[in-house]
Amino acid sequence: MSRNPEEPVYNRIEEARVALGLSRQELADMAGVHYQTIGYLEREEYSPSLVLAIRIAKSLNQEVSELFSLTPFKKGK
Amino acid sequence: MSKKNKIYWFEGVTEKGVKSLLTDENSKYRWLRPQRNRRVLVTLMVVGLIAVAMGSYWPNLKTNMNLSSGAQIIVYSVTAIFVIFAVLVGYLFLRISVRGIGDAPDELLDERQIKVRDTSFRYAYYAMGYLIAGLLILMLSGPELKLFEPDGNDGSYVIIAVVFAFSSMPSMVLAWRERDI
Repeated sequence: MSRNPEEPVYNRIEEARVALGLSRQELADMAGVHYQTIGYLEREEYSPSLVLAIRIAKSLNQEVSELFSLTPFKKGK
Repeated sequence: MSKKNKIYWFEGVTEKGVKSLLTDENSKYRWLRPQRNRRVLVTLMVVGLIAVAMGSYWPNLKTNMNLSSGAQIIVYSVTAIFVIFAVLVGYLFLRISVRGIGDAPDELLDERQIKVRDTSFRYAYYAMGYLIAGLLILMLSGPELKLFEPDGNDGSYVIIAVVFAFSSMPSMVLAWRERDI
């Protein structure tokens, strides 16, 4: 049986990062990834592993559930 | 205290070399990064590889060009050296354009980079399969190749082109597919 196409993971990384005044490079260093990967995540072109999602949430002082969702976030929330 | 520069023999890279490419240390190569420029580079590499492979069919071409014997040798040698050197430079630029991800070991990459590198290898494997199949058909139906023989169609240029294609194909796929950020 074949797997379904990858389900998109929506996130608020950019919003949370900007609120903390962090650059992509700074967040990348904190999460232990390349700055391009942060860019792909923010554009929702890459779905992170659970480990990376937890590391990013921790770096941004957020809960994983506040930062990532399988449904689009409502604007301004 | 300087940290030892680890050599990854299997991948043919060093830790410092990979890290230098990944961190964009050298800004003079920034022009290679946009996808459009990377795609131009891939196209030039394909043209270069075809040109190198055509060296094996030069005896057929040069008779059509009506060159004198001395001129033939000079034109043949200079062209061969120039084309192979151009492909080598193209290969190095290609690696820089994709930050060396195509040749980097797992421990120096993050999870997304490992994923895109592995996907590139999968497509490169298919591409090489089609390329080898095409070459076999050419060898069966095209002009006869005599490997490493001075007279006739020397197949060594085809082999050089295939070796270059093998080493550069994952980076070519990566350079073509990776979107700009």
